[in-house]
Amino acid sequence: MKDILWLARRTLIATFRKKSSWIMFILLPVAGILVSMMIYGGGTGGTLRVGIVNEDGDSRITKDTLSFIQGMEQAEVTVLDEESMKQKIAASELDTGVILEKGFADSVRSGHPEGLTLVSLKGAQVTAYLKSMLNNYVDNIAAIGLSAGADQTVFDKIYNGYSQKSFGMDASVVEDTSKAKNMTYQSLGFLIAFMMFSACNLTELIIKEKENRTFLRILTSPISARNYVLSNVMVNILLVMLQIALTLFMLKQVFGINSGIPAGELVLALMLYGLAAISLSLVIVAFAKNSGMAGALQNLIITPTCLLAGCYFPVDIMPDSVRKIAAFLPQHWLLQTVDDLQNGTAFGQLYLNLFILLAFAAAFAFIAIYRFSRNNDTRTFV
Amino acid sequence: MNVLEIHELTRKFGDFVAVDNMNLKVREGEIFGFLGPNGAGKSTTINMISSLLRITKGEILLLGKNITKHSRFAKMNIGIVPQDLAIYEEMTAYENIYFFAGLYGLRGNELKERTAEALEFVGLSDRAKELPKNFSGGMKRRLNIACAIAHKPKLIIMDEPTVGIDPQSRNYILNSVRKLNEMGSTIIYTSHYMEEVEEICSRIAIVDHGKLIAEGTKEQLKSSITDTKDIWISYKSEQPLDTERIRQIPGVTQVLDDEQEQLLRVWSKAEINNLNLILQQLIQNQVEIRSVDEKAATLETVFLTLTGRNLRD
Repeated sequence: MKDILWLARRTLIATFRKKSSWIMFILLPVAGILVSMMIYGGGTGGTLRVGIVNEDGDSRITKDTLSFIQGMEQAEVTVLDEESMKQKIAASELDTGVILEKGFADSVRSGHPEGLTLVSLKGAQVTAYLKSMLNNYVDNIAAIGLSAGADQTVFDKIYNGYSQKSFGMDASVVEDTSKAKNMTYQSLGFLIAFMMFSACNLTELIIKEKENRTFLRILTSPISARNYVLSNVMVNILLVMLQIALTLFMLKQVFGINSGIPAGELVLALMLYGLAAISLSLVIVAFAKNSGMAGALQNLIITPTCLLAGCYFPVDIMPDSVRKIAAFLPQHWLLQTVDDLQNGTAFGQLYLNLFILLAFAAAFAFIAIYRFSRNNDTRTFV
Repeated sequence: MNVLEIHELTRKFGDFVAVDNMNLKVREGEIFGFLGPNGAGKSTTINMISSLLRITKGEILLLGKNITKHSRFAKMNIGIVPQDLAIYEEMTAYENIYFFAGLYGLRGNELKERTAEALEFVGLSDRAKELPKNFSGGMKRRLNIACAIAHKPKLIIMDEPTVGIDPQSRNYILNSVRKLNEMGSTIIYTSHYMEEVEEICSRIAIVDHGKLIAEGTKEQLKSSITDTKDIWISYKSEQPLDTERIRQIPGVTQVLDDEQEQLLRVWSKAEINNLNLILQQLIQNQVEIRSVDEKAATLETVFLTLTGRNLRD
């Protein structure tokens, strides 16, 4: 064990002396979260920032319309002049603007509403909700106006009844978790791709040490080839754990994204996948004759399989035939597990997914060991 | 006492026999020259002594213990200076020695002391914190040696430790080899430079085609070929010499023509007087003879006589 720790210590020091390793092991998983947030984020967390320009004065209908907008759930209202409103919308300080033009109240009273303008740079995505609510409100008052005709007393009576009507209502807000789930899913998609690249990168050290002959010097010492490989696997597991911990910490604590999955269950599933990734990297090293070949194999295997498994974009948009291929990839089974856990499936019911991940790890490890043991020449083999 | 004993050692790669039934003994305190042309089986033998290659047949004893059965003991007592540099370019000279010495179980102050001693020994103490990429070829070779000796092995195997370096570094390394030997290490030394071997080795073994073909002190080896004479002919010629015709002269065993130096070396059986025929052949071909000399047998003569090849071929 002391031998393994001594070798692992050197590998860790040598790895983290290179700036590229910090990018590969630490920055890329975090960058994955940021990219996911850019894809699935957007908006301001449900609050609609509305600017109102009141050119219609203090008539009752105008004031009530203002109050109606101010009373809307998740609307943050600012009353300002038209020029300021346009500037703020252009600067993204407001999502939308409402202009109550002069004569707005009179037109509503007469039953033919006009003089209400909505301004937005973001279009229907932002204004649809506000427009719908306002249309409904204004149309109701206009209907009262039409019914009352020119009789102001009748209008006032009906309007008073309408505006004073209060309904007993219990409101409960249901949290929209779809965004958080999508972001988690996508972030983990990137993480598992980076985990695979990191594992291969680290295992490739074995080939590089063969090429610079230090591997042979190590083998002339009391270190066995098995312990040498084990030390590499140990560092690999450590770094996989670090990547998982860092990504989950950043997701939850820094970016405030709730994955919807208990941390322990997620870590366990990710670790099983991590073992499969490390074993696969050993297979690549076992078959590659030099570091150039290992790099080429990495790119040939990792990038396409991650694409097929849905690490970079949702697998749902792919044709059925491609989705069937994905079933043969460990990445798919991890993402499937994450998806199932997010949709409320109990962890215990996902034993098949977890077993398949473990089977991938074991199968790859056996192939690597078999390949290593076939070559008894230590000059070319571990 | 024998530090190393090789009994009937054989290594096969498929049908190819790289080392064939070799027997060898290296005594304590020797600098033992291990020579052979390329492909003779030297590296294969060294790899088996280093436990890098499995033995097909036979056994190797280090300090009386079978290295296959006592692999850890053997590895703890052997230091290998490989022909190709085996150092980490991204680690300083100190870190390289510290790491490799640590593989032998050294830790703490002992490890630090041994690292400092090894650095001092190869004259790199003042460059300890520098990366090898800033070193000259000779300094890298010295670091390569330091990484192999910090754990103070009983047997040091040096495989071409002076390849491709300047004369100053070569002298430094040769002196280091002598010093290591004086400090109690037994050394197996391989080189393509015959003058190095002649200068520092107390006993020499010559292998060819996987077999040990001669073994002994320099004097013993030289005296073993008294039946061969070594004729040096200095000449002047515009045309390349027809060495094949000279080779066909009765008694001639080997011909070597150095066109640049215009020096022809002919090895011939001592009992046959054929010098006249050799000179006649040259004169017939319009070659101007400048001088003729018959040299005493050298190690190179021995090597050429036994293997039919020059050491640097």
